[in-house]
Amino acid sequence: MILPSLLLAMFIIGYPIIDLAWTSLQQVSRFGQLRGFNGFDNFAEVFGDPLFYDSLWRTLIWTVAVVGGALLISLPVAMMLNDEFFGRGVARVIIMLPWAISLTMTAVVWRWGLNGRAGLLNASLMDLGIIAEPIEWLATAPLAFTAEILIGILVSVPFTTTIFLGGLSSLPQDAYEAAMVDGAGWWGRFRYITLPLMKPFINIAIVLNVIYVFNSLPIIWVMTEGGPANGTDILVTYLYKLAFRFGQLGKASAISLIMFGVLFAFTILYVILVMRAEKEEGVKEEVSASVEG
Amino acid sequence: MATAALAIGALGAIAPVQAQTRVDFTVAEYSSKTGPYYEEVASAFEKENPGIDINIQVVPWDTLLQRLTTDIAGGTAPDISIIGTRWLLDFAAQGVAEPVDGYLTPEFKSTFIDTFMAPSVIDGKIMGLPVAASARAMMVNMDLFEKAGATPPTNWDEFYAAAKKLAALPDTFAFGLQGKEIETDAYYYYSLWTHGGDILKADGTSGLDTPEALEAAKLYKTMIDEGLTQPSPTNYNREEVFNLFKQGKVGMIFTFPMLIPQIKAEAPDLKYKILPFPEGKAKATYGVTDTLMMFADSDVKEAAWKFIEFAYKDEWRTKFDHGEGFLPVTKGVAAEDYYTTDPDISGFAAGLPYAKFAPTIEYWEEIADTTVRTMQQIYLGQVTPEDGLKAAAAEINAIRAK
Amino acid sequence: MSKVKKTIVYWLLLLPLVVVILFPFGVMFVTAVRPRAELFVYPPRWTFSEFRWDNFVDMWVKTNFGGALINSLYVSVASTALALVLSIPAAYALSRYRFGGKGLYRNFLLVTQMMSPIVLVLGLFRLMVQFGLVNNLNSLVLTYAAFNMAFTIWMLQSYFNTIPRELEEAAWMDGANHFVSMTRIFLPLAVPAMVVTGLFTFINSWNEFVLALTMIRNQDQYTLPVQIFSQVAGRYQVEWHHVMAGTVLATVPVAIVFSWLQRFLIKGMALGAVK
Repeated sequence: MILPSLLLAMFIIGYPIIDLAWTSLQQVSRFGQLRGFNGFDNFAEVFGDPLFYDSLWRTLIWTVAVVGGALLISLPVAMMLNDEFFGRGVARVIIMLPWAISLTMTAVVWRWGLNGRAGLLNASLMDLGIIAEPIEWLATAPLAFTAEILIGILVSVPFTTTIFLGGLSSLPQDAYEAAMVDGAGWWGRFRYITLPLMKPFINIAIVLNVIYVFNSLPIIWVMTEGGPANGTDILVTYLYKLAFRFGQLGKASAISLIMFGVLFAFTILYVILVMRAEKEEGVKEEVSASVEG
Repeated sequence: MATAALAIGALGAIAPVQAQTRVDFTVAEYSSKTGPYYEEVASAFEKENPGIDINIQVVPWDTLLQRLTTDIAGGTAPDISIIGTRWLLDFAAQGVAEPVDGYLTPEFKSTFIDTFMAPSVIDGKIMGLPVAASARAMMVNMDLFEKAGATPPTNWDEFYAAAKKLAALPDTFAFGLQGKEIETDAYYYYSLWTHGGDILKADGTSGLDTPEALEAAKLYKTMIDEGLTQPSPTNYNREEVFNLFKQGKVGMIFTFPMLIPQIKAEAPDLKYKILPFPEGKAKATYGVTDTLMMFADSDVKEAAWKFIEFAYKDEWRTKFDHGEGFLPVTKGVAAEDYYTTDPDISGFAAGLPYAKFAPTIEYWEEIADTTVRTMQQIYLGQVTPEDGLKAAAAEINAIRAK
Repeated sequence: MSKVKKTIVYWLLLLPLVVVILFPFGVMFVTAVRPRAELFVYPPRWTFSEFRWDNFVDMWVKTNFGGALINSLYVSVASTALALVLSIPAAYALSRYRFGGKGLYRNFLLVTQMMSPIVLVLGLFRLMVQFGLVNNLNSLVLTYAAFNMAFTIWMLQSYFNTIPRELEEAAWMDGANHFVSMTRIFLPLAVPAMVVTGLFTFINSWNEFVLALTMIRNQDQYTLPVQIFSQVAGRYQVEWHHVMAGTVLATVPVAIVFSWLQRFLIKGMALGAVK
């Protein structure tokens, strides 16, 4: 019964991985024709390239900042949305909205909204009297990268909040009631009941978000193409440029594999850490199984 | 189940029609008119040649190279395609492009203007036909010049002086400087060439470490620092600089003929003038051509060539050049009065005798990207022009040595 | 805290986020309906002189928006269906049977999650060439289904775990075979989970960009994200009001359907989590 799904996954995902590994060991022409093996030359070239290290470093910042930011925002938001208050339905719908627009379109809209002289963000800030002169948001790398990270966080919030909401609504009420009786305060309930019980959901959110964010191209590509002066390049945008602008398919394949390796190592490491921590705490196996799956 | 799905998918694939010869033609999208124009040419051609089916694929410029790369890598390359001439050497070096000398009759060849034919010749072989051409020039806002009491400049000293006067006007930027995305390097070449420098020295190494190159970069940097450009050029791509001009906020920009129809439609009251680039040690303009290339792997070269000859008839070329705002590449169209008497287009055409072209060398895109990065660093003040250009030259030489 | 007090505090806390989320929608809308001449005004402002609804009509005609909409719908619906058809038996097997290589299969699925389509785009392209599927929307159907399967199988499996085995066993007692018990008893119970996972796949397919950009050649085969991107990328001139009109049209229907269905999404997540 698992065979059909296995076959499709093998075909669509397995084959290209092998193709990629094969390509990364060869000299590849500008247009992808294989020109014979050259061992690890492609990898050597990648590791000798300062732009690679810059992009790698920025990828780490990007991933940690976006995933971290999304988690920090989503958990309190989910807790509020899980509670009863007037207009909760509306609030839920609004928080989920960014999910309904494609990332590409979100990025296009933001690029326009952040436009220096015609952008509506500057319009709002100027109307409110916060700034007198328009700010060119995307002109320098630090500002542009910060904006991109914030947008990254924004679009990651719905998915993360959904996972947390799912988790929160499955928490046993009796634990809270017992805690109330014991006189535990808000923070105590959060620290000793909510957080431990939410752990598996937080773990899932971390693993899935890291994978998605690490590989995410559209926001940065549409807004700045990794510029100015490569100051917002992360590995995917650099990879895209190498492959499709410069036609360095061998080097691009090598970077693809390195990226895959990084993610793979991260996930394995994370799953092991989580499982170990849970065994120590004596939490049931099932929880880790859901992370693993 | 997966295989079943695949089979269903395969059924949906386009089955080649055996009875007809199909020519796949990839067209770069210059504007929203490009696609409809080529469809029209194709259907007129198909009417005369019922056995041939021209299949047109319109691709946006930004994705054209990626598209062709994946196509070639995957073995689904079209039969003919419009490409940027700067890519032609890569195509030729990899054996992807078909030399057309064998197809080109002397009569057909003589219809082309020689200047535009030259960049397509690689190692003595003609690897493609020029299909679109433009030259660049300076465009000035005459209203602003009048208000500032300045005269349109002919050399860089006058340019700088005029900028000073224009910048004194309220809510006005003297010079629109592009610093983002496609052709950021071109904006620098304008200055580089007219200062007497070049992209490559005679010995083939980078020309960015020459005194002329430094002077050219320093000029822009000084203008940014003195507030003579719009603020933060690195946030302005080509289109955004042109928008400032259309709004009447900018005194001088460097541009291409395709801007004229846009101005006429959107800012009909704008009083502008087309002038040659300011002169330094040399006169120069940037000539840019695109090439129609035939693929070496094509099975239908005869039919494709027949279509090419058809599409180069004067009646079609004139429609194309006028519609897109290009300069003519064929003598027939160039002979039209329009190109000598129209003040706008003749302003651009005037530069052709001394036009410079991007060098046809391998790894051009990478070299151009290095230049873009360096310029952005200089504009942002991350490096001094001296250090930045020296490093860029070293990097380009390393790329050239590969 | 009383409910009223909570309402005020929560809304105040959520306000910054709500503003930032609604900001792009505001940008889209006011740009889409303003006259072309008012796109670039300085200083920039939210207000404009008149509602120019014609922008939508012009955009629709000029950019083949309808075609792209149909393509997007086809790809999203078909890939969702394919992903579900393949995931349900797999999830059922994972939930009900013990078999060799179960752990391996799960890990394999997780690994498939890790591969970004971008990383694989070249290999995928060559694969599609071999099947003659380039420039064919079905290539997207297959890849989207494959890339979403890991998540759908995982979701479905955790949900299936919550459906008591006894129901099916009771059916076997009555003489029904496994197939009958699965289709008659089990599947109807699993409908909510299928809706949720289906919705998830649908959104992902609807929004996907990079693969669509690579696999699809002809403009009349473009999906919406590619179609909108092509109006921004490398043009000599960007018609921002048309771009925004397109974005509004591409977004609003999905947003509406989505707001209606999101409660199921959360419920599904919650149910799936109860072991």
